Amino acid sequence: MKSSGSPPPKRRRYAEVAGLAPTTPLISGPSNAEPSNLTFTDIPVLGSLSKSSQEPIENGSDSDPDPGFDPVVFAAFVGEELSLATLKELRDASDGDMERAINMYFDGSWKKPELARPVAATCSSRKRKEPYAGPLSVANLLGVEPVCENGVLGSMPEKRYIGAFGVAGWATRSGTNLISHLEVVKIERQKQILHAAARKTVAKKKGKKGSDESIKSLTTSRAPPTRQRKTQDIVVRFTNSKGEEVGRLQQDTATFVSTLIDQRICSFEGVCVYAPDRIRTNDTVNLQLRCYMLRSAFEHRDIRPLDNNRISDIFAPKETEDEKALRLRQVALVKLFEEIALEPSATNATTTKHKRAGILQAAEMAEQYEDSTPEVASSGESKDVSEKEEGKELEQDQLDQLYRKAQSFDFDSPESEPADTFTMDLRRYQKQALHWFLNKEKNISERDNESMHPLWEEYIWPTKDANDEQVPQVAGKEKFYVNPYSGELSLEFPRQEQNCLGGILADEMGLGKTIEMLSLIHSHKSDVANNLPSSISNKLPKLLRPSSDVEPAPCTTLVVAPMSLLAQWQSEAEVASKPGTMKTLVYYGQEKKISIQNICSTANAATAPTLIITSYGTVLSEYSQIAAQGGKRGIHGGLFSVKFFRVILDEGHYIKNRTSKTARACFDLSADHRWVLTGTPIVNRLEDLFSLVRFLRVEPWSNFSFWKTFITVPFEAKDFLRALDVVQTVLEPLVLRRTKEMKTPDGSPLVPLPPKRIIIEKIILSKAEREVYEHIQDRAKRSFAHNLEAGTLMKSYTSILAQILRLRQSCCHPTLIRRKEVVEDELEAEAAYDAAKGFSDDMDLHALIDRFSDQENETNANTYGAEILKQIRDEVEHECPICLAAPMKDMTVTGCYHAACKECWMDVIEKEKEKEELPKCVICREPINGRDLFEVIRQESDEITMGDEVDAFSQQPEIILRRVNLRSSAKIEALIKKLKELRKDEPMTKSTIFSQFTSFIDLIEPALERERIPYFRFDGSMQQQQRAAVIQKFKMYEGAVVLIISLRAGGVGLNLTEAKRVFMMDPWWSFAVEAQAIDRVHRMGQTQEVIVHRFIVEGSVEERMINKIQAKKMFIASSLGMMNDDEKRQARVDDIKDLLSD
Amino acid sequence: MSLPKRIIKETERLVAEPVPGINAVPHDDNLRYFDVTIHGPAQSPYEGGIFRLELFLPEDYPMTPPKIRFLTKIYHPNIDKLGRICLDVLKGNWSPALQIRTILLSIQALLGAPNPDDPLANDVAQRWKEDEPAAIQTARDWTRTHAMV
Repeated sequence: MKSSGSPPPKRRRYAEVAGLAPTTPLISGPSNAEPSNLTFTDIPVLGSLSKSSQEPIENGSDSDPDPGFDPVVFAAFVGEELSLATLKELRDASDGDMERAINMYFDGSWKKPELARPVAATCSSRKRKEPYAGPLSVANLLGVEPVCENGVLGSMPEKRYIGAFGVAGWATRSGTNLISHLEVVKIERQKQILHAAARKTVAKKKGKKGSDESIKSLTTSRAPPTRQRKTQDIVVRFTNSKGEEVGRLQQDTATFVSTLIDQRICSFEGVCVYAPDRIRTNDTVNLQLRCYMLRSAFEHRDIRPLDNNRISDIFAPKETEDEKALRLRQVALVKLFEEIALEPSATNATTTKHKRAGILQAAEMAEQYEDSTPEVASSGESKDVSEKEEGKELEQDQLDQLYRKAQSFDFDSPESEPADTFTMDLRRYQKQALHWFLNKEKNISERDNESMHPLWEEYIWPTKDANDEQVPQVAGKEKFYVNPYSGELSLEFPRQEQNCLGGILADEMGLGKTIEMLSLIHSHKSDVANNLPSSISNKLPKLLRPSSDVEPAPCTTLVVAPMSLLAQWQSEAEVASKPGTMKTLVYYGQEKKISIQNICSTANAATAPTLIITSYGTVLSEYSQIAAQGGKRGIHGGLFSVKFFRVILDEGHYIKNRTSKTARACFDLSADHRWVLTGTPIVNRLEDLFSLVRFLRVEPWSNFSFWKTFITVPFEAKDFLRALDVVQTVLEPLVLRRTKEMKTPDGSPLVPLPPKRIIIEKIILSKAEREVYEHIQDRAKRSFAHNLEAGTLMKSYTSILAQILRLRQSCCHPTLIRRKEVVEDELEAEAAYDAAKGFSDDMDLHALIDRFSDQENETNANTYGAEILKQIRDEVEHECPICLAAPMKDMTVTGCYHAACKECWMDVIEKEKEKEELPKCVICREPINGRDLFEVIRQESDEITMGDEVDAFSQQPEIILRRVNLRSSAKIEALIKKLKELRKDEPMTKSTIFSQFTSFIDLIEPALERERIPYFRFDGSMQQQQRAAVIQKFKMYEGAVVLIISLRAGGVGLNLTEAKRVFMMDPWWSFAVEAQAIDRVHRMGQTQEVIVHRFIVEGSVEERMINKIQAKKMFIASSLGMMNDDEKRQARVDDIKDLLSD
Repeated sequence: MSLPKRIIKETERLVAEPVPGINAVPHDDNLRYFDVTIHGPAQSPYEGGIFRLELFLPEDYPMTPPKIRFLTKIYHPNIDKLGRICLDVLKGNWSPALQIRTILLSIQALLGAPNPDDPLANDVAQRWKEDEPAAIQTARDWTRTHAMV
C-alpha cells in the first residue's frame, strides 16, 4: 500500500489512507496491544462489539506491500488504473507474481481464491470499504505513536486519565498477605463472557456458508444469549500484583464498571487503600480506582451506525442489541461521572434540566420493556419485538397538532426555476419546494456552525490525578465531549450541524410530489454530471472490472417505490424531461442482470442512467443476498455496490417500522442525498417518524436511544407538549409539508379545487315522528329545568346529555330511541300477521299471479287481484285514481290489490287517521292496514348489482311487490328520494353518506337494499384490511354506488374523490368534523363540483345545533385536548342550555 | 296555493269529453268554483229542465268531497229548500277515487231515482210516500216554472 505513491487521482479517499501508510508498519500486529494488554482479557468480545478496532491491526500486518509487485507497472500492462483494493486482491491472488496477476486479471480467475478464504477476505474488503475514515479514524489515531514532550503528548494516547474514586470490594478467598496497602491491583472482567463471544463468532462463520444455514443457526442460537444478557453478568474481579484473584467489586460499582470495561470505554487501575492483613472471605477491601478513558471509546462514532449492521448477520435483532448496549453505556457514563465528580465545563442550558434524570428514566423504561416481554426478544420475528416496543398510538388530535406544527410553510419563501431540461410548468409552491430542496442538498444554511451541538457536554481532561500529581496532557486536546443521550464520546468539537443533505417531502397527496422531485433531479446534478459533454454519446458503457468497493454513482438518482408505481415514475420522468436528458432504468426482475456498479460508475458517467427506479422488494432481496454472502456489497454489483448521487424513497411510510427488514435494507442504501416522499410521515406512532429520520441519517436523531430519551419517554410519561416540541424541532428543518387546505396569503388555495355547494335539506318529520320527538323533548326540557333549579346540572350532566342524544337520534329515525326488545316484539307480531295473510316484505309478482289463478274459483277478490296484477305485469298504464297522474308515481297496491301512487295512499291514510276513521281503500272501501301497502318495483334487466351480493340479487324476480315500510323515517325517505333522482339524472355519479350513528346506518342499509341501490359500508368495527378492501371496491365500482361511512371511522384520512355527492345525515357538535368528512370527497384530485346535502330536521334540536352550537364551536379548542374535563363539561352545559331553550 | 294537478286534469277532461247532459265550468277567478248545469234525466219529472248547481272543491279535495248545492229550485225528497243534496258519496261514502264527473252523474241519477226513505226535505218525502203521482206532478210543475227559462 505504501508503494502506491501515485494513487489514481479520482479516488481521493485512498489517497488519504495512503498518506498515512508510512506510519502503519509501526503497529506490528495484535501483540501491539501493549502493556495494558493483560487488563483486557476480554479483547475477543470487544472485537466483536466494535470490529473497527481490529482493522488497523490487520491493516498494518497485511498491507505490507510485496516489493515485486508494482501497481504502476501493472497498470501499464492492463491499460487501466485499478483501485488499490483490486490491486491488492490481484497481488494476493497471484502471490505477488506480476505476470500471473496480469493473466488472472484478464481471465477473471483472480476473484475465485478470494472466496476460498472468506475470513481474511472479509476483513480486508471491509477495511477497504471504510471510506469514511475521517480525522477520528482508527488508522489516524493509532498511526501516530504518542510522542512525549515535557509530559505533553502529541495525540491521544491509548488511554488517558480521567479521575479516581473509592470503592469497596469483598474478598472471595481467605489468606494472609494477599494484598497490602498501596498495592496495585488489576481490575478484570469475568471470563465467562467469552462464551457468548465465542458463540457469536461461530454463528458468524456459519453465516458465511449460506443464508439458509445462517438463518437456522441464528434462530437456534439467539434465544440463549438474550437470556444470558438479561441476568447480566457484572462480576468485576480484582487481582493482586501476583495475578491472584483477591475479590470482587461490590455490586453497585460493578454494574457500571463492568459496562465500561466491556464496551471498551474505560480501563481501571486499582490501588488498595485498606485491607486487613489476614483476609477472610467476604471481608471488605477498600480500593481506589483510577479510571482511564480508552482511545477506543472515542472511535465508535461514525462507524457504528453505518457498517455494523452488515458485518454481522442481517436477521439478528441487531438494533435492539445495539440499543441495549447504548443504554448500558449511557447509564454507566452518567454514574461514572457522578463517582469521579466530573462536571461538564459547558452544556446547553435548555437541555441540562432534564438531562440525567431523563436518561435514567429512559433506561428504566427500557428495562421494564424487557422484563414484561421476556419471550419476545427470543422469538424469531423481529416484527414482534417492534410491536411491543414501539410507542403508543397517537390520538387523532395529537397527530393533528403535530402536523400543524410541521406545516408552518412560509408562502413568501423564495422560488427556484427548474433547469431548462425540465419541461413541465411548476406551480409557485412547487418552485418554492425546489428552492428548499436545492438548499437542503447544497447545505446552504444560515446556521452558526461554531455552536456546540445542544445535546453534547464538554468536559476538561483533568490535569492532576487524585494524588495531585501531574497527568500527561495531550497537545491541543484539553477537552473531550460526551453525549449522554447516545453514550457517544468525542475528542472533536461536536458542531451543531444538519448533516443530512436531504429531507422529507410530505406534501399532501395530489400536490405533485413526484413532479417536484423530478424538477430537483434536473436542477441539481453532481459536479461529475455537470462536466459531462452535453451531447449524449452513443458509446456503450465500458466494461469495468467489478470492484469490491462501494463505487460512486455520481450521475444517478435511485428511486425506491412500491411495485405498482414503478411504471408511473418512469413515464412521468420521461414526460417531464426534454428528449435525451433523462435516461431511466426500471431495475426490477430481468433488468437485475445488469451491474449497477458498472453502468453507473464515474468512468461510465456519460452513459449512466439518470434515474434508476426500483421496488422495495428488490432492495430487500439484494440486501438479503449480500448479507448471505457475508456483507460484500461491492462484489454484488447491485444497488448496494454504489453510492448514488441521490436516493428517494417514494411512499416512505413503507419503512415506518424501523425493525422491519425492508426498513433496514433502505437505511443501508448509500447516497449523497437522501429523500423521503410521503403524505403521512407519521402514520400513527411517533416512532414512524424515527424510521424516516434514521433513513435520512439525521444526526443525532437517528440514534434510537436518543430518540427514546427525548421523545418516546416524555410522550409516554404524558409530557406531550415537551415531546411534541422536540418533534417539532426535529421536523422543522427536515420536513416540507403543504396541504391542499392551505391558502396563499391572498386567500386562494394552493391548487384550485372545483366548487363545493352545501345545501341544507330541511326535513319535515311525519306526524308520528314529530310526536315521538316532542315527547322526548318535553322530558328533556323538564329534567333540565328541574336540575337547573336544584343546582344539580353538573351532576346530572351525563343523563341530560343522554337525553339530548336521544333527541338527536329521534330526528333520524324514531326506532333508534326505542327499546330494542319492544321493537323486536312488534316485529314478531307483524311477522305472524303476514304469515296469516300470505304477505311478505317482498313478493314476486309472477308467483302471486300464479297463486291467485290457482284459487280462481274460490274467491272473486283474488281473481280480481290476479287481474290487476296481470295488468301491472303487462304494464297497462292506469292513472292514479287519486291524483289522476299517469303513470302512477311509485305505483303501490293495497292488500285488496288496488293501485295508486304511493304518496296518494299515504295521504289517504293520514287524512283518515286525522278524522279518527279507519283508512279505507278508495276503490273498494275495504279497510286498509297501513302495513299492507306494496310498492311495485320493476327491475331493469341490466341492473348492476353490488360486488359481493351479486348472487343474491341476480336471483331476484323482475317485478316484485315490496312493502312500503312505514318504519322508515322522514330522513331516510328524503335520502332515498335524493339518491333516486341522482341515479336517474347522473347514472354514474358515486356518493357518500356520513352518519355518526352506526345504528342509523343499520337502518339506512335496508332502505338502500330495498331500492336496490348498491352500497358499501365503512365503519369502525372493521379491520384495517377490510376497510382498505371496501375503499378499493368503492373506487373500482363502475356506476352509481354509495358508500355509507360512520363519521367517526371515516371522517379523516380517506380519499374519496371518486364520489361527487355527500349526504350528511346528522349534524355533529362542531362543523369542523363534518367539514373534514366532506373533504374526503372535496379534495385534491376532485374534478367536478361537489354537492353536499345536509339533512336537518326543521324546528328541532338539529337546527339549533347548526345555528347555535356549531357557530360557537368555530372558536373553541375543546377537541384539541386543551381543556380539562371540568371545562369541557361547563362548555357542554352551556351547549345544552342553548339546545333546550328556544 | 297552486291548483293541484288533479283538479286541472279533471277540469280539462270535463271540457274535452263532456258528459251528455252535464256541464261544469270553473270560474275564472276561482278555479275551485264551478258553475254546473245538469239536464233532468228523461222519463223523470225533471225531464226538460236544466238545473243550475254550484260546486266548490275544498282545500283538501280529493281527500274530502266537493261541496255541491242546487241553485235552481227543485222538488225532490233528497234535496232541501236550500238546494243541499243528500247523497252518501258526498258524505261518508266519499272516496278520493270519485271525481267531479262521477259525482255529477250520481246527482243526475239521483234525479232519476228519488229516495224518499232517506229524506232531506221531510215534507217532500212525506208527500212522495203518501201520494207519489201528486208529488211527481209538483216536481214537474216546479221544473217547468224554475228550470225551463
